[in-house]
Amino acid sequence: MSTDSLTAGKSTRRKSSRAAKPDPQSPDDTPRRRKGLSERNRPLWMLIPGGLLMVIIIVVPLLLGIFMSGLDLDQYSLRKWVSAPFIGVQNFVEALTASPLLHAIWLSVSYSLLAMVVTIPLGIAGAVATQNAFKGRAVIRSVFLIPYVLPSFVVATVWRTMFQPGSVVDSVLHSVGIDPGLWLNGPQSYWTLILVQIWASWPFVYLLALSGLQSVDHEVHEASALDGALWWNKLRYVVFPYLKGPLSLAFLIGMLHHINNFTLPFVLFGVPAPSDVELLPILTYVTSFQSFRFGLSAAMAFISLILIAIPLFVYLRAVKLDDAETPGGKK
Amino acid sequence: MSTAPTAVGRRTSENFRPGSKRQHEVTKLLPGPMLAIILTVLCALVLIPVAYIFLASVNSDIGVARGEFFPSSFSFENYSTIWTSVGLATGLANSVLVAGSTAVVSALMSIATAYVLVRYQFRGRLTILRGLLGLQSVPGTLMVLPVFVLFSSSATYLGIQVIGTQWGLFVTYLTFAMPFSTWVMVTYLRGLPRELEEAARIDGASNLGVLVRIILPLSWPGVVVSGIFAFLLGWNDVLFASVMTRPESQTAAVALQVFGASQEGGAIPFYGQMMAASLVCAAPVVILYLIFQRYLVGGLTAGGVK
Repeated sequence: MSTDSLTAGKSTRRKSSRAAKPDPQSPDDTPRRRKGLSERNRPLWMLIPGGLLMVIIIVVPLLLGIFMSGLDLDQYSLRKWVSAPFIGVQNFVEALTASPLLHAIWLSVSYSLLAMVVTIPLGIAGAVATQNAFKGRAVIRSVFLIPYVLPSFVVATVWRTMFQPGSVVDSVLHSVGIDPGLWLNGPQSYWTLILVQIWASWPFVYLLALSGLQSVDHEVHEASALDGALWWNKLRYVVFPYLKGPLSLAFLIGMLHHINNFTLPFVLFGVPAPSDVELLPILTYVTSFQSFRFGLSAAMAFISLILIAIPLFVYLRAVKLDDAETPGGKK
Repeated sequence: MSTAPTAVGRRTSENFRPGSKRQHEVTKLLPGPMLAIILTVLCALVLIPVAYIFLASVNSDIGVARGEFFPSSFSFENYSTIWTSVGLATGLANSVLVAGSTAVVSALMSIATAYVLVRYQFRGRLTILRGLLGLQSVPGTLMVLPVFVLFSSSATYLGIQVIGTQWGLFVTYLTFAMPFSTWVMVTYLRGLPRELEEAARIDGASNLGVLVRIILPLSWPGVVVSGIFAFLLGWNDVLFASVMTRPESQTAAVALQVFGASQEGGAIPFYGQMMAASLVCAAPVVILYLIFQRYLVGGLTAGGVK
């Protein structure tokens, strides 16, 4: 590549990293400052192994999936899927009108939101409580992360055992005079799922809230102490504003993870799942590998990709891509 | 001031020395009782189910089914039966093999990719960075069918059997681990000074030489973090493993899931074995995390993604 295209590439980078307010004439803009050693002879080939892998295992299957969503594909035509009959948008029509897809989307989104609504206050409480040093804080911080570290399939297996009829949850509730009914079947299973998801994912919010708390300047603490602010007012008006960024990030990533979460509902309820917890990933999986309607399942997967794209887009716009010195975006 | 230690007296700046008792008062966020309540509730929330795993694993199946929290009879027998009954011996061996090799290869590949992305300017660089973030959120359920079809096609058209072998899982996990591992390495390598590399270059080191001799030794905490996350991805996956393995290539996650699902509808399920197997599957992950806790938490918040 010539030197011209090198500098061109560099200025494109600078411009696009300031996509929000393109200002190529800004005074601190010093292109060509560092050229020479590191700009000649760039080992771009080092990108090839990873790039190739991602193209073959992610991009090609993604396109393949979109193609398959237009095919009438079942267990017989799957072996020769190239020659399966092309039926256009029929799979999409069926997915939207004659399948539980819309119900699944509603379940997935509402459960993700409900779980987030509870995990955020829990996470903040955990972070606020462990921000100041005290004896045993390190141990408690480790304890808080246990649910997050445990593999999802372990979490689901354990809660599945605890929620069995007559098992430990029931016996505890019985002893205080409550008859809870079935946890893993029927309408209540939806709330079981939310409970377990909250248990498993609040530490993630806690982690991000903690990183937000650590960015609170010491001067701010002094100022509010000088003003004699009560602890609640201090939290509400002085500390919480610092958490806005990390918590929005936690919210977006949490939503993406909840909507995409397959392992937890799959192991917790098994397949076929009760219709009250037939979430989007479960429905897509069951349509493929239990009912063998591969084309229909690919159409469902494609629709769920569109659903995912909304929070993902917000996330990608918000996240900081480049070094700290480039004012690219905010975290 | 000395005559009356009033509120005004307390506010002199000498009381704000870092580490002093007053300092603690200043940064304090919660009153003591409130703190105690929150800590107790959250610890109970976490620890009661965790304790239950262990207690149920040494309990009798009838005891678990009756809803005992504290076992009425102790026995460690479950820990010796699970290796064959759940298929945990094969499962763990496969998991270690697949997740371990994923970790090593993905760490090495991601350091090379990240190095180029951090140190060199080229067209499409930001697109790649954004793509790496975006690919982390592609749902597995979207990919599992096309990847399955792709792999079965390789048997039909190329004569290479991928489905049912550990290779298929390895390649899949490696690919899905790459975006996050690379992102972790990108954030890590940004913190490394350029000067050492440039010195090595003046001494005539090649690109690969710089990477292997300078960057790799300097960035091992980053390598460890990205390797561990890749390991966890392989260890925790159920979706791909449930579709692409045969019983002999099953990972521990699938072995446990299948064992749990097969307990339905019979006599009393083998709850004790399920809990013992859960604990054994969780142990390596928890131990890894405890050893590398400091780096891992940093990597998590840097990458911002699980």
